[in-house]
Amino acid sequence: MNPSIANKPGVNSLLKDIAYTSVLSLITGVLAALGFAMLVMITSAPAQAELQPGDKTAVDQLPRMSIDQVQQGSLLLKLASGGVSVDAPLLHTDVSMRVSGMVNRVQVTQQFHNPGDEWVEGTYVFPLPENSAVDHLKMRIGERIIEGEIKEKGEAKKIYNQAKREGKRASLLSQQRPNIFTTAVANIGPGEKVEVIIEYQQVLHYDVGRFSLRFPMVVAPRYIPGRVIEQEEVTAFSGNGWAQNTDQVPDAAEITPPVVDPTEPKVNPVTMEIRLDAGFPLAHIESRFHPVTIENHTDGYHLIRLEPGVPADRDFELIWTPQIDQMPKGALFNEQWQGDDYSLLMIMPPATDQISPITQPREVIFVVDTSGSMHGTSLAQAKSALSMALSRLKPNERFNVIQFNSNTHALFGQAVPASPKNLRKARGYVNLLEADGGTEMLSALRRALTGEQDESVLRQVVFLTDGSVGNEEKLFSTIQQRLGSSRLFTVGIGSAPNSFFMTRAANFGRGSFTYIGDVAEVKQKMSELFSKLESPVLTDIQVAWPEGAEVEMWPARIPDLYLGEPVVLAAKLPKGGTSVEITGRINGQQWQQQVKLAGGAKHEGVRVIWARRKIADLMDRKAQGEPESEIRPAVLAVALKHHLVSRYTSLVAVDKTPVRPVEENLQTKPLPTNLPQGWSAKKVFGSMPQTATPAPLHLLLGLFSLLGSLLLGWSKKVLGKRTDHSIPVKSAMEA
Amino acid sequence: MSKLATWGRWSLILVLTLSAGWNLGQGLYIEAKARLAQLLLQQAWDETRQGVEKARPWAWADTWPVARLRQPRLDVDQIVLAGASGRTLAFGPGYLFGSAAPGSDGHSIISGHRDTHFGFLKDLQLGDRLEVTNSAGEVIQYAVYQREVMHENSLERLQVDDARLTLITCYPFDVIQPGTDQRYVVTARPVLM
Repeated sequence: MNPSIANKPGVNSLLKDIAYTSVLSLITGVLAALGFAMLVMITSAPAQAELQPGDKTAVDQLPRMSIDQVQQGSLLLKLASGGVSVDAPLLHTDVSMRVSGMVNRVQVTQQFHNPGDEWVEGTYVFPLPENSAVDHLKMRIGERIIEGEIKEKGEAKKIYNQAKREGKRASLLSQQRPNIFTTAVANIGPGEKVEVIIEYQQVLHYDVGRFSLRFPMVVAPRYIPGRVIEQEEVTAFSGNGWAQNTDQVPDAAEITPPVVDPTEPKVNPVTMEIRLDAGFPLAHIESRFHPVTIENHTDGYHLIRLEPGVPADRDFELIWTPQIDQMPKGALFNEQWQGDDYSLLMIMPPATDQISPITQPREVIFVVDTSGSMHGTSLAQAKSALSMALSRLKPNERFNVIQFNSNTHALFGQAVPASPKNLRKARGYVNLLEADGGTEMLSALRRALTGEQDESVLRQVVFLTDGSVGNEEKLFSTIQQRLGSSRLFTVGIGSAPNSFFMTRAANFGRGSFTYIGDVAEVKQKMSELFSKLESPVLTDIQVAWPEGAEVEMWPARIPDLYLGEPVVLAAKLPKGGTSVEITGRINGQQWQQQVKLAGGAKHEGVRVIWARRKIADLMDRKAQGEPESEIRPAVLAVALKHHLVSRYTSLVAVDKTPVRPVEENLQTKPLPTNLPQGWSAKKVFGSMPQTATPAPLHLLLGLFSLLGSLLLGWSKKVLGKRTDHSIPVKSAMEA
Repeated sequence: MSKLATWGRWSLILVLTLSAGWNLGQGLYIEAKARLAQLLLQQAWDETRQGVEKARPWAWADTWPVARLRQPRLDVDQIVLAGASGRTLAFGPGYLFGSAAPGSDGHSIISGHRDTHFGFLKDLQLGDRLEVTNSAGEVIQYAVYQREVMHENSLERLQVDDARLTLITCYPFDVIQPGTDQRYVVTARPVLM
């Protein structure tokens, strides 16, 4: 026979086989899909019908405005903190900084743009560095500039509210915390833009041979402990926050701006330019978390620009280090104002390498925040920092690990020796940490600080947290009362830690603070912290002014200094150069240094820094329990004299002519802020527990797979029979 | 001849069988864990009743029994655990730390898995009794008076301070997909008997 014909049946059977298999698979697939869909439909329907008419069904979950109720064309943002924001003013922030030596002068321009067709009042809650001395407010409308004036807080609010009612453009800048401020801008017309320009001055942070400049960009959602108290009246300043005022945080609504849902695009873009004149040749400049361009100029300064398109959702940090032989030993800035000399002085204590290391036994207590705000990258940083810290402990040292969220839990009943077994246990404990729940920091502080006075043991408490709480002052007074002979070291974790809490808690705790903004930073920052913990402290620092000189120095008492930290003080003294002697004790040895207060650089704004430090010292005394009736007048006097925003003073700017027609209403709209980078909205604003398991899905998929596999097996049998048939045919033809 | 087709068919059968085995295993494991754990918890609960604080049902457990929840009509008898993390809920219903301890006179919130322990919530009728025994052996009777569906974020609606028992599970019931942002919330108030 012709071989080509003989081959045909073979090809035919192959084609048939493929066809049968395909058809069967198709049928199986379709049946499976149909079955799946039917099951879903059948089973979900009765469950929904289950609710009886008598039951309260909650179909409409948002008591506030829902998306469907809003007109087309509005600018809508879903809020993670609840509800929807409609046509809130858009904000663009431009920051311009001039750094000279250790002083930074900053201008922050906030441009409010009203995209809607109503007249609005915009309120924006934003952060500034905790040591910023805010002394200027300007409002710019088109070409016109209106200067702001400093007033007592209540009076400023009254002036602003009156202008607001009269339809005049006005803006008010008030302080909620040393690092949380609010601008309110009244009577922004439809489609209009109003610019608010804020200026402040700050002293930069110098530690372990490195200058750092932190500029916070977003107020992270704060945990508000305590019982809710009744609101007296709802005004623009009390009804905007997502939190209700409580007995522990009576101004909660003012520090909790609405937060945009993370599924929405980011809001509040920022542009920034820094002119850095360090005063010495630099070895290194780096922006830690943001892309920047750096221009080096021949006459010694550097221009640093933030790349465009940065949203305000995490702290900006710029660090620079001097060349090794150019490390500053000290710096002096002077200003003459109204017949007085003001000086800002920085002195580096001598290197400690000749001084014998500490001999006291050490006890290190690690306290880690595992509240919902720490979820994600923050907890990863904390865990990595903790495991590194554990590996630094020596066998003769004692330690414990305490975690807190809504509750406090300690790994060991009391501190135990750092034996391999205990360390293993601690590592296991740290690895299993999960972040969820509230930030009840008070109970954790009480657990860690016992108030014991025992100088024979060096007890160091290392506190890892983002500090996202609203009851800072209460916490400070607890630290103050229960510190005993312990020392408290704060480690600020995450993209937007509460710098006010970190620095002041460390100050009250006679320790130091460290920031970790990224997992990559953990190693360096923790080893720096451990060098501090393991080195002797410079204590009893005294500044001896010449006999008879009337000097007002802030801080009034110089805090103890750890390895790498300088003495920084601001003083007001009678005219004329003078010299001071600074003394201290380090591990039993005496240290002293003579400083001439002449020949320092003339620098405008030293007096403002002096005044700001005085206010900080006074506010600390309030947290330590001095009555507000004594503190308030003292703060008012210095703040009004030096034009500074404080707890008791605000800046207010009012335009003369009314612009809003009387028949038009004014809508108050709080500006939403971003959720800090790396945060989980669900963990912060809470949700009910996840209570669905994938069990039914698995069971169903399993059953269908089984069915499919059986069907295919069966089809193989059928096909097999057919193939058997085809062979005899083929042989018959061949025969 | 049809080697390719045979090979394809066999591998398809193999894949489907493996998938069937894995999925059934996973599904049954969740169910088995939920049932078995309740047996193991019984002993820890007995210890708790004898005054042991935080009696851990097994050495590595990060939770402990706090109460016993019963519903006679539906023959429900479960040990309630401390906390409502995913790990805890696999073994039994868990009480939310922020709320009052079950069996106290505050507002206790207990949540449980829709597919295992708290599947019975869908059969609860208005007026049904719920019985909570606390570690001291005191029994509080509650009666169901409200059933609602809420969004998972509407926590503010649970912030009520009077004496009540709130049971939460995922909603809708009897669906396949595990992810849902709705919750079925049953509220019960204490009754004398």
